Amino acid sequence: MEETHQRKKKKVASFWSWVVASIIFRLILIYFPKNLNLAARPEVSTPLTSLRRLAEGFWLKQSSMSPYAGSMYHGSPLLLSLLGPLTVKRIEGQPNHLFFSLLSVIADVCSAMLIRATGKKLQMAYSYSLKSLGLLTQLGSSEILSSGDIAALVYLWNPFTIVTCVGLSTSPIENLAVILCLFGACSRLVPLAAFGWVISTHLSLYPAILIIPVVFLLGYGPDAPPRKLFMKEKYSKNLDESPSEGLMQPKLPIGFSWRPVIYFVFWALLWSVYVLVLCSISLKQYGGLQEMFTSTYGFILTVEDLSPNIGALWYFFAEVFDFFRNFFLIVFHVNILVMILPLAIRLNHRPCFLAFVYIAISSMLKSYPSVGDSALYLGLLGLFVNQLADMQFSFFLFCGYVGVSLLSPVMHNLWIWRGTGNANFYFATATVYACLQTILVVESVSAMLNHDRKLRKLRVAKPEDAKS
Amino acid sequence: MADGKSETPTEKETPKPKPRPILRLVIFLISQSFLVSVICCTAGVLALLLLPVLAKNTYISENALMPGSASPMISNQEVLDGNKLVEDLTNLNSKYLDGGIESQRIIAKYMSDLGAEVSYHKFHPQSNRFHPLHLFSDPDSRAQENFSCSSYGINTIGIIRAPHGDGKEAIVLATPYNSLKSDLGESFSVGIAFSVFSLLSQVTWLAKDIIWIVADSRYGEYAPVAAWLKDYHVPKFSSLSSGNVEMCHDGKNLYELKGKSITGDFRRAGTMAAALVLKVSDRTEELEDTVSIYAEASNGQMPNLDLINIVYYLAAHHRQGFRVKVERLWSLLDCSLLKVLGTIIEFVGEVARSLNPEWKFGIPATDYVEGTATLASSLYSQALGVPTGPHGAFRDYQVDAITLEFSPKFTSDMKVRHNDFFLRGGRLIEGVIRSVNNLLEKFHQSFFLYLLTSPNKFVSVGVYMIAFALVIAPLPMIAASLYISANNSNSSLKQDKSTLSPYPVADEHSNTVRSWRWLNAAKVVFIIHLWGAVVSLLPYFICQIPDLTSTTSFLIWVLLSVLSLQVLYSILASPFPHANASQPQEGDWALLKSVTISALFIGLGLMSVINFATAEIGALLLVPTCLLARPLRLDLRARSLRSFSRVICNLVLGHIAFPPAAFLVVKGVFSGFGSANVGDFWNWVESLWAWNSATYLYISMVHLPCWVLCIYILIHTC
Repeated sequence: MEETHQRKKKKVASFWSWVVASIIFRLILIYFPKNLNLAARPEVSTPLTSLRRLAEGFWLKQSSMSPYAGSMYHGSPLLLSLLGPLTVKRIEGQPNHLFFSLLSVIADVCSAMLIRATGKKLQMAYSYSLKSLGLLTQLGSSEILSSGDIAALVYLWNPFTIVTCVGLSTSPIENLAVILCLFGACSRLVPLAAFGWVISTHLSLYPAILIIPVVFLLGYGPDAPPRKLFMKEKYSKNLDESPSEGLMQPKLPIGFSWRPVIYFVFWALLWSVYVLVLCSISLKQYGGLQEMFTSTYGFILTVEDLSPNIGALWYFFAEVFDFFRNFFLIVFHVNILVMILPLAIRLNHRPCFLAFVYIAISSMLKSYPSVGDSALYLGLLGLFVNQLADMQFSFFLFCGYVGVSLLSPVMHNLWIWRGTGNANFYFATATVYACLQTILVVESVSAMLNHDRKLRKLRVAKPEDAKS
Repeated sequence: MADGKSETPTEKETPKPKPRPILRLVIFLISQSFLVSVICCTAGVLALLLLPVLAKNTYISENALMPGSASPMISNQEVLDGNKLVEDLTNLNSKYLDGGIESQRIIAKYMSDLGAEVSYHKFHPQSNRFHPLHLFSDPDSRAQENFSCSSYGINTIGIIRAPHGDGKEAIVLATPYNSLKSDLGESFSVGIAFSVFSLLSQVTWLAKDIIWIVADSRYGEYAPVAAWLKDYHVPKFSSLSSGNVEMCHDGKNLYELKGKSITGDFRRAGTMAAALVLKVSDRTEELEDTVSIYAEASNGQMPNLDLINIVYYLAAHHRQGFRVKVERLWSLLDCSLLKVLGTIIEFVGEVARSLNPEWKFGIPATDYVEGTATLASSLYSQALGVPTGPHGAFRDYQVDAITLEFSPKFTSDMKVRHNDFFLRGGRLIEGVIRSVNNLLEKFHQSFFLYLLTSPNKFVSVGVYMIAFALVIAPLPMIAASLYISANNSNSSLKQDKSTLSPYPVADEHSNTVRSWRWLNAAKVVFIIHLWGAVVSLLPYFICQIPDLTSTTSFLIWVLLSVLSLQVLYSILASPFPHANASQPQEGDWALLKSVTISALFIGLGLMSVINFATAEIGALLLVPTCLLARPLRLDLRARSLRSFSRVICNLVLGHIAFPPAAFLVVKGVFSGFGSANVGDFWNWVESLWAWNSATYLYISMVHLPCWVLCIYILIHTC
């Protein structure tokens, strides 16, 4: 007992030392912004997240013009009032956007801590439900890997996260909002979950689909083995009533509890009204909310900016004929929506994993993707380390991610700077990247389903063991 | 599926559903990986040797160029003017020892007499100091260095505004000229350029402005052109940096220089469509007048093939009497092996032609040897990543440029031959400029990625990539098969154990970690690559120490590298707490090799996009080394002929693939082992980073780490 305690202590210490090391690493990188020139990379800053555009919007607003004039800024007016002053403040001899960089470091660390807390909650709930099924000893791995720590470290040390953090984009803040929403839902803090959901939707629209996992989380509780297993448990209990198993009677809510969901809807409405009022106040002299919606959500949905990024849409809409444009816009956006329902039905017992899958899909199909989105879902992937231990192609995916993230800047250089390549070179890496993401989603979902199957098998096998 | 479905059916008792055909193909390839990789590598080397045979004739791809459609207009009058300038310059040279400013003034006067806008451009030679972060940033964003006022050069620039142009486009003529110590060749090049320039100041067909830059080459030929291009493309807004250069002139000189239409302001024309660098060499060993074309810019970039085509077309088809040459490796011309190969290929070609007259792929043996020598030189200078002349500076700004070096066969005292030579050289350049003048867009029709095997033959990217792809094709296959076998052997081991062990729980656990076991190997590979990055940064600090010979610098570098490897390994190499790596396992080296090979594959693939030639040479060295690597202990234990030969191969390759060793061997082969010295390697590497060559990064961040990993596998205890 003493030994395990000590080991735990040691593990915690090493966790914190890694966290501190990641912060120091970021601070070092912040001092070379000119040399690395990350803010100009299309992989890091998109038209939606670029800080340069935000500064431009802030200047427009300062000189009493609409921040959306000239199609430069497409973010939220709230970010403008919160982050705008930071873009102007400068210290002599320090990097230009020092304050904003520090803010994104803080946002990253907060996200990591929230992921860790979420992971702890998930793991506790999961091991509890396994215990109630009597499967904990069979799956002894749960006490060895604390998924929260792993996920937090993966998030902090992911090169994508680091690059986004140093590269002056607002993605760390958007990611923080999404993680806040998930954390709130996992720990059943309904107002917090609603706040995270409203803010993240307000900032980047796509997290709107997270409402389904959040509702499941609030209604069913966090990730658990399939509910059928618990029902079997009840059924088998009726057959042979042994007192020892009677103590392990699963107390998990089998049914759907509507109360927190209604709370959530109420809070979400409240927060969104609040956010909208704030926005309309800040845009009173200019176009009002109408202009805000057209130049943020409208900009996202109609894919106006065709500058290259790591997604596939810019290339496609640069090629497509104008009279087909609307049709394909609908096709591409429905693409995300089509997958929502089947996944929600299949994975409704694992709402957090469902959220991960949704985020991965939307970051693959969104109109202005950046590596910041990948950073988010790769961080969340770490939460399911125990369940996904048998995931196939892990090595292949790892190599693919490394290769693509190195190849993409080279291809961009070949196209833009050297002039020896063309747009197809860069788009090829974007295609490979999309394929990798697809494989990741498919493999992780199938690994998760396999894990469920394994649980069922163990569950079926167990009574026989007990008899023999 | 990598470890699930690909288990061979013999191992599985239970019949499995047949996988899809493509997967079956992959599984087949992986199971036969040894044979496939041997075939692929041999085919790759053969394809490389066959490249001169596969080369196609060049053709002018852009119709708008229309070379030679107009008759040359340059006349004796212009040639005489040019000759006069040469005479003035040579007289001046013999008169003053410090003729620096004076010759500039004469050239400027000649230019302004033609009605051109003349300006001077002062520059400070960029000291080629190694700065690690410069390798990643584009040339524009580099910080200004502090200059000393004592050393600066002056470029003279003349611009003719095109009568039909809108000033948006320009063609550049550049002639390096050392005003302090000029030789006759440089004067001649200025003379030829002036003849062309004076013609162009009169013609009416000009649609693009002509810029003639007489680059002050007292600090090398590349530096003045690069400095001028930088100022041309990156306007200086801050008064600090622009004042920096202007502030430190010594009053008198610059005012003397300025005349009525001559200014020290920076003058610009439009974007550059193409640039020609003219040089006349003093060597007179040639039997006929020749033009050598130098095209390689930094990092193996080449100008558009059309530019070379025009020169070749005009020189060869329009009877200017020039023989066009591109560089070749002379030592290869006497290589008997190549001669034998060439004869074989010629013979095969003849046999094929006798069978079917339609098949025409054989080339004469001499052509083959010459083609190979040219190809080797092309590969070598691309792989170095160091530009072969001032034209390299243009490519950094996406301007297609070549250097034309004229080698006259006359001795310098024959006056009549001068005029003739000037006339023909002038006609050639006039023709090229006229073609480029016709161009409506940038050069884009023809190839950018090619290798030359002779001035009129090229191998395009689609062909030479096959050779490279064949060489690296075994890498992913071997990596996959190793990965699978490592996992399988481990799981079978586990199964044996689990039948004995009373604790199925532990087995369950190790089984779950199994599919992530590669993480440990990946960590080792990552650490070694991180060390590679550290090694690549070390010279920056070594350069700060003053007064070091190249040999001692090299030794310090090696020492520090070994030290940093020790430190990094001891800090970071502690195995993950949860993985059961405390007891070394059988499959460990296989996994490590698999990850190493994957890393090498990624690295070589990347490098082939950046600089093909480096990747090809690196692949020829590293691919066999990595594929053959296997712990020596295992092989020695086996005591069979096969394992013994593998040990010998491993030892030889392990020595050769080490970059300094490879360098010394190559140098020794070409220039005798007596002169080879480890300090040379340091000098060579120094030149690489001074030119911001990606080859340097490749060597330190891909080649060296992979070599270290191979050695690590060789001495692995298992």
